[in-house]
Amino acid sequence: MNPFLAVRLVSTSIHRWMYGYLTVPDSKTLQPSPDLAESWTTSEDGLTWTFKIRAAKWSDGKPVTADDAAWTFNKMMTDEAAKTANGPAVENFESVTASGQDLTIKLKAPQASMLENPVPIMPKHAWESVTDMANYDAEKYPTVSSGPYIAVEHKKDQYVKLQANPNYWRGKPKIDELQVIFYDNPQAAIAGLKKGDIDLLGRMTPQEFEAIQNDPNIEAWNTQGRRAAYLQVNHGATTTDDKAVGDGHPALKDVKVRQALHYAIDKQKLVDEVQNGLAKPADGSIVPPMYKDFFWEATGDTKVTYDPAKANQILDDAGYKKGADGVRTMPDGDRKLEFRFTIHTETPIEDKLAEYLTAFFKEVGITLTTVKLESSKFTEETGVTGNFDIAISGWSVNPDPEEVMATHLCSRRPAPGGEGGGTESFFCDDTFEKLYQDQLKELDRPKRIDLLKQMQERLYTQAPIIAIYYTNDLEGYRKDKVTSITPIPEDKGLLYGGSGYWPFYTVDVKAAAVAGGSTGGGSNTGLIAGIVGAVVVVGAAAFFLTRRRKSTADERE
Amino acid sequence: MTTPLEAAEPAAVQAAGPGDERPTHRGALRYALSKAGGALFSIAMVLVGTFFVFRLLPGDPVRNLAQGRNMTPTQLDMERRRLGLDKPLLDQFIDFVGDTLRLDLGTSYEYKRPVLDLIGERLGPTLLLAGTGLVIAVSLGIWQGTRAGWRHGSRFDRLSTGASLLLWSVPTFWLGLLLMMVFGVGIGPIPGIFPFRGIESVDAPDGFAYVLDVASHMVLPCLTLVAVVYAQYLLVMRSSLIEEVSQDYVTVARAKGLRDDDVRRRHAVPNALLPTVTLVFMRIGFVVGGAVTVETIYTWPGLGQLFYEAISVPDFTLMQGTFLLITVAVIVMNTLADVVYHLLDPRVRSA
Repeated sequence: MNPFLAVRLVSTSIHRWMYGYLTVPDSKTLQPSPDLAESWTTSEDGLTWTFKIRAAKWSDGKPVTADDAAWTFNKMMTDEAAKTANGPAVENFESVTASGQDLTIKLKAPQASMLENPVPIMPKHAWESVTDMANYDAEKYPTVSSGPYIAVEHKKDQYVKLQANPNYWRGKPKIDELQVIFYDNPQAAIAGLKKGDIDLLGRMTPQEFEAIQNDPNIEAWNTQGRRAAYLQVNHGATTTDDKAVGDGHPALKDVKVRQALHYAIDKQKLVDEVQNGLAKPADGSIVPPMYKDFFWEATGDTKVTYDPAKANQILDDAGYKKGADGVRTMPDGDRKLEFRFTIHTETPIEDKLAEYLTAFFKEVGITLTTVKLESSKFTEETGVTGNFDIAISGWSVNPDPEEVMATHLCSRRPAPGGEGGGTESFFCDDTFEKLYQDQLKELDRPKRIDLLKQMQERLYTQAPIIAIYYTNDLEGYRKDKVTSITPIPEDKGLLYGGSGYWPFYTVDVKAAAVAGGSTGGGSNTGLIAGIVGAVVVVGAAAFFLTRRRKSTADERE
Repeated sequence: MTTPLEAAEPAAVQAAGPGDERPTHRGALRYALSKAGGALFSIAMVLVGTFFVFRLLPGDPVRNLAQGRNMTPTQLDMERRRLGLDKPLLDQFIDFVGDTLRLDLGTSYEYKRPVLDLIGERLGPTLLLAGTGLVIAVSLGIWQGTRAGWRHGSRFDRLSTGASLLLWSVPTFWLGLLLMMVFGVGIGPIPGIFPFRGIESVDAPDGFAYVLDVASHMVLPCLTLVAVVYAQYLLVMRSSLIEEVSQDYVTVARAKGLRDDDVRRRHAVPNALLPTVTLVFMRIGFVVGGAVTVETIYTWPGLGQLFYEAISVPDFTLMQGTFLLITVAVIVMNTLADVVYHLLDPRVRSA
């Protein structure tokens, strides 16, 4: 529960409800809006940012000052351990100083995503005595918080109990108590929802969702999600010094082959039959359509539609001739177009995906064999050593897609010694790099959005990754208990899976009749939210949750 | 009816009694010592094995620790030094053995806490669940096995053996879910009566009510556990009783005109218990490992769940620590089983 260390989705979600940040996504537009910082200004050169911290109070009654924010950032800049969770967020910081309620951040280089700062502001008075940050578990309750809720009790992997923060600057939340209960077993969580042990359950698989769809007491919440699922294609993995690594198939270096693969995939069929219709076929790239501002969709000639004939045509024209067995070979030799498809062990839905892709690629003379790896090995082979041809991948995208774009930068490739990294595709492309640098400097939002869209288009046409679908966000809550809840974004948005505390701040529940004989002291206006453990057990909890561990860093919402 | 377990010990000693040489204390001690020596050797081998096997596993521990976040080479080096991974393998091994002997199992990557603390927290729930499950399964198995074996071929025999074998072959996960649906959620007119998640309610009351709360949380996991494992005790008890029944001494006892009940309880059962007792001891070792599947179905915060988590992360120190604990427990219990068997059964002793 230490926010300087926490990277798991569950803890970071809860921190979103407990602590204030400089800004918070607006509940309607998802654009950064004031949170603890009530206003801000930027210098001409974009290097100095001044935030005015609002006159809020910590839950223990002490005032929130710019000093708290400065302490938080400085701690992260000076203590290696404190960098664990959100280190990259302060990498570009030159200095952070406070004066009264004014927080001044000086940057080394312009950074347009300054308003998407993912760091929770911590109370200096409660935290400055912590010396060994790496081993501090922050299990002191009640916590000193500035968000809508205060954690009052926590049992590791069992539950977290939160209470409304009476000092919250927006006003105390409508419910008094929020219990977040962990389930290791998705079936048990669904059973809990059906029985009424829990009131709300987030992040279901399509199969799990179907189990609650016809229950009269449950509102099945099916909306566009924040996840993009895509294939990662080994188009010639290299390290930061441009040395080739791994054993990717040489044919995949040819952009024609990658495009042919793209034409060979029937995305609608994948949506219908692998995702039970609960997804949207991807005609864009890594930003899902729920982010209306940033979403880019291919149109006209650029658009790749399912067309095996065209795929065959492209491959024929490029000289990949079909052999007697129907399998194509490289133009300059007799190596066949036989690719490996790397998926995770114990994610049945990926097995199904592999079957379909194998059939699609067979149509165009390409053989696909499936390789299953457990998640740490998967991360290593597809993100560091480059020992793969095609791999399943996916990402939960934040309201600002900068970070997910950054995973396709040259600098994110592994260092010569195999260190560092954090690449999503081993992509290294001049056009893409330039666009990225330009958007960093661009403080004009519409112009920046346009640059980010161009980056998506580049990814789409170069196809180091091929987006296949955007999975829906599948949740459910008790109609008989929850009287109102506002999703984020407010127009058909997400509940638990959303970014920010909005749904849990606005949720209101029916006062439950206190059962006779039970202790009277308990809150009768509480919400109990069930969460399937972050450690995915038998039959993965959320579709691509087990993909690379690195996504957990991104999923810090 | 007296529970067979209570009857077991005195009766067994008695059975070993007349006519046989009693073990000299010295002989028993020597046997126990030699067994303990063997166990220590096994534990030493496990230490060596654990160290090297866990280093052969795929994945760089530091990278796992980073969980794929973007870490600078400096940060990675710092972590390596902190974990002692920059030292030569032999030094690391010596450190590892020394630390383990001092009961320092290292710090979990995931939890940032000493592995021993984590194990300590989880040991209680595991012993409670798996221990209770074992006691019930053993009692039920021995009781049913005795009845079935004594009148083998009878309706009771066919029914109970059949039922236990059916449960034994059913996948634990499936059975757990079925019980959860029927007794937890409720089907049709049957209301759900038992909780099916965790060891206690979030708003658990205090005092005796707390005990009841935990007990009600135990019902379904315990039932699942017992249903799946009790067949082995039943079958061993049944077959060894059948074997005893055909022995001359049973015929003699019957010929003496003893009541059928007495023959069974005082003569046949004590002898037939021997293999079961061994089986029970061997199982106690595994109890420590918990029942991974059952703990997972019901989100029971035990060691099995911890071990599973350690593997899924993967959290090497935690994996190593829990693995060591489980293997050592199994070795110790197997040794005890040998010694107890030796004490109970003269035939083994003379061999």
